[in-house]
Amino acid sequence: MGQQIKYLFITALLILIQTQAMRLLSLEGMTPDILTIWVVYIAIRHGHPTGTIWGFIIGLAFDLVTGNFIGLSALTKTICGFIAGYFYNENKEVIILRSYRFIVIVLSVSFIQNVVYFLIFTQGTNIGMTRAIFEFGLVTTLYTAIISLIPMFIFSRKTSR
Amino acid sequence: MQRLLQIFVIFKEYVILTLLIAISLILLFNNDTPQIRAIRSYTVGFVGLMQDMLSLVPNVIELKRENEVLRALNVNLTDEVSRLREARLENLRLRGMLEMKPHNEYKVLPAEVVGKSLHLLRNTLTINAGESDGVRADMPIISDEGLVGKIIVVSGHYAVVQMVINKDFRSSAKVQRSRVDGILTWDGGDVLHLRNVAKKQDVKTGDVVTTSEYSNIFPADIKIGVVSNVTEQTGTLFKDIDIIPSVDFASLEEVFIVTALPDTERTSVERRAAVGK
Repeated sequence: MGQQIKYLFITALLILIQTQAMRLLSLEGMTPDILTIWVVYIAIRHGHPTGTIWGFIIGLAFDLVTGNFIGLSALTKTICGFIAGYFYNENKEVIILRSYRFIVIVLSVSFIQNVVYFLIFTQGTNIGMTRAIFEFGLVTTLYTAIISLIPMFIFSRKTSR
Repeated sequence: MQRLLQIFVIFKEYVILTLLIAISLILLFNNDTPQIRAIRSYTVGFVGLMQDMLSLVPNVIELKRENEVLRALNVNLTDEVSRLREARLENLRLRGMLEMKPHNEYKVLPAEVVGKSLHLLRNTLTINAGESDGVRADMPIISDEGLVGKIIVVSGHYAVVQMVINKDFRSSAKVQRSRVDGILTWDGGDVLHLRNVAKKQDVKTGDVVTTSEYSNIFPADIKIGVVSNVTEQTGTLFKDIDIIPSVDFASLEEVFIVTALPDTERTSVERRAAVGK
């Protein structure tokens, strides 16, 4: 129960950072998605069901806070948590989180999530599917993967002590 | 029942996934229902309050820069006001001579930007004015630089503004010099687009684009931006027109709400004409 409250608190803090501070790191309107990194982290630590449920909670909270399409982030983060859950290994979670494997997981999960997100998000616009996937999806994915180096290094230093 | 529980335990990952995806899709397809709008309104109120509290932390560097910009702007505006006063008097005189109806003058309500959601394609602002101030959905938002957007969600004391740089935003707009009109859109990136302008129409780089009289939401003649590029692609009947917005959306801190609602009579008659009644 204590851990769930801790996760809720961290989620609220990360949503605040994502909505208020991430625009400072914006490149051509693209910002890294730190909430995806957080969902991947939870899924790697706790596995499929927890990752999926937290993905939904985090996505829904983000939708409500930003006033965007309610349900879109909830949908994509749910998928994100579920896919990241495949990389859960009870005995190797620390090794995964402190190695380059974490970046690879963030990269692949984030790409799938962004493809789904932008395919729905760009419906009804003049933005083509290729542009949606490669220009918006890929850039956001790469940017998110680069930012995921920060938690990887933090976790690496924390566990090597 | 026992067997059902066993199946659930075996496939719990997939059951949870299916359930949550179903809930997400239900929410996604019911975004415009009164229930979802009510939830949005409550969250806008709560988030607005939080953002308002955070904005109390002053940004000294930003304030200094803003002060310098405002001083320069003040000098230019004082000069422009005196010239506009002259032009207005002349305009009134000429209109009187031609017996034309004067333009509607609109009232504005100032508001502060307490939150920004400047990411990806659905950019919004949260402002600290809401229903208690007379703010309603669809009211236009402007700044001293030009058109900012329109209100989409309102709570008691806060409102969310759909910015011009939002992929869902549409408005009729016109080129000030040649009176050519089109539809204003944004597809991401630094520029806006003026669509549905035929190739034979007169539009040049450097032309000022404003809101047009055809809009039932936005008053006419609010500056939108300046044409930065005009291209004619083969295989289409229309020009590709890029517009650099006059508003610096990233540094927007104060806005004005135009307290005018769409003309319901006009909306009604246009809707009746559209369905052929």
